[in-house]
Amino acid sequence: MGKQSKTPLLQVEKLVKSFGGLMALFGVNFEIHPGEIFSVIGPNGSGKTTLFNIITGFLKANSGKVTFMGKDITGLPPHQICRQGIARIFQLVKPFHQLTTLQNVMVGRAYGKDPATNLRKSKEEVVEILNFVGLGNKIEVVASQLTMAERKRLELARALAAHPQLLLLDELMAGLNSAETEIAMELVKKIRGSGITVMMVEHIMKAVLGISDRIMALNIGEKIAEGLPKDVVKNQLVIEAYLGK
Amino acid sequence: MSSHRKNIFLGLGIAILLALVPLLTKRNDIINIMVLIFLYICLAQSWNILAGYTGQVSLGHAAFFGLGAITTRILWVGGYPFLMAFTTGGLVAVVFALIVGHPALRLRGIYFAIGTLGLAQILKITVGNILPTVADLPGDYIATYNLIPRYYLFLILAVIMVVVVYLVGHSKLGLGMVAVREDEEAAEASGVNPFRQKMISLAISSFFAGLAGGAFAFYQVSYYHDLPFSPTWTFDALLITFVGGVGTIVGPIIGAFFYAIFREFFARAFPELHVFIFGTLFILVVLLLPGGLVEAVSRIRRLIRAKKTDTGFS
Repeated sequence: MGKQSKTPLLQVEKLVKSFGGLMALFGVNFEIHPGEIFSVIGPNGSGKTTLFNIITGFLKANSGKVTFMGKDITGLPPHQICRQGIARIFQLVKPFHQLTTLQNVMVGRAYGKDPATNLRKSKEEVVEILNFVGLGNKIEVVASQLTMAERKRLELARALAAHPQLLLLDELMAGLNSAETEIAMELVKKIRGSGITVMMVEHIMKAVLGISDRIMALNIGEKIAEGLPKDVVKNQLVIEAYLGK
Repeated sequence: MSSHRKNIFLGLGIAILLALVPLLTKRNDIINIMVLIFLYICLAQSWNILAGYTGQVSLGHAAFFGLGAITTRILWVGGYPFLMAFTTGGLVAVVFALIVGHPALRLRGIYFAIGTLGLAQILKITVGNILPTVADLPGDYIATYNLIPRYYLFLILAVIMVVVVYLVGHSKLGLGMVAVREDEEAAEASGVNPFRQKMISLAISSFFAGLAGGAFAFYQVSYYHDLPFSPTWTFDALLITFVGGVGTIVGPIIGAFFYAIFREFFARAFPELHVFIFGTLFILVVLLLPGGLVEAVSRIRRLIRAKKTDTGFS
């Protein structure tokens, strides 16, 4: 494969997380390589979002290690992780409601990686990002007036403005109709094409299989499969996890 | 940018007009009500930057006002130059704010509001116990007392406060504050350190509240030391900001004029009923105009514009 010889962009080792007596993650290991689209699948409650929240610093793991570009980032607060080059979108979108789309995205540009100090000078780049996600005609619109699909794109634009090397997409496609899903898939491919590595949690199987390079399947906090999409979907454990024995 | 320039000229014009008031009138009642308006602008605007811009609704604003007042008064009457006493008052408020802010800003929403209210009340009672006396000005201070320098001190303070909020509101710092107000988690995920934004906002807020207190101590001849710590100052700031328009720069200014002038008018016209009438008016404004008077102005503007296009005069 040759992929194993590259140094991983993100390395997660023996991640354990419990909420009281409930084990959410049970020693999960995996690596993400530069330039790939890596998807995490699994039934509800399998620990996907918990995993995202630990990588991005919103939750603290009980034990285990997260290494990004050779640097230990375990336990760093979210804003520092963002500045290291990991940006995310939320499953339930969180736009800054009273701000325009331009201002929303400007926050990412002003505070993310290589932050801008002069807001006026970065306006051009922010507009470009808004064009890229298809919100170029909504620059002055207040976020609360956007549709669900537009809010998802705004979320994406804000994350991109933070100049990430790794972009974490928590159910980008959820709540979108099939036409919108197609557009979102194209966008994710374009993002990867621009050199950004993508890790995504997704329930829409068409999307997962259509664009992922590799897939990891979780069930009740444990990794049950990892590999190429066509192999993972045929995996007996994965089928049982979704459909039961 | 032309809108920037327009705003700056407009603000400058109003400030110059206000600076001329003492030259045009010798009526002390007018000067006094203007002083009160400037005091309210500073108090409300300083509350607005923490609550309106950064989303941290503090009910302890009077603590900063009181600390500024007591520090300034004691140093000034103690023989130190006024400006030194005044600045020290502002700084004492900031130091207190940052010490208290460290734990308090980790609380969210209603807990932060209640926590700050509690702290301010503790401070008020403590000051009342330690210094239960009236803060009188010494005879020679009263002999040289002149209202005009007070007027200009308050005017300059209000102008500086408005300019600071304007600059912050148009800066990267302000964008980060508003992001924290809108959604703390989303702000964090975008690289904003919410705690830092809140602390900076609190520092600016408490500094100007402290200066307003210092100006009050310079202006008021005689009062109990715990009066500037009274929660009334907090709620005045809050009401003015909400009535004017929370999270906007113009809101607290309009609110301060409205509040001071209407309260004075009602108190004279209906001495027994004025609190009741005033309270009802406030409830109506907040119910009908959640965005404050600023919203009313923009609604009227839109109406006028709509009418103009209807009749073909555009």
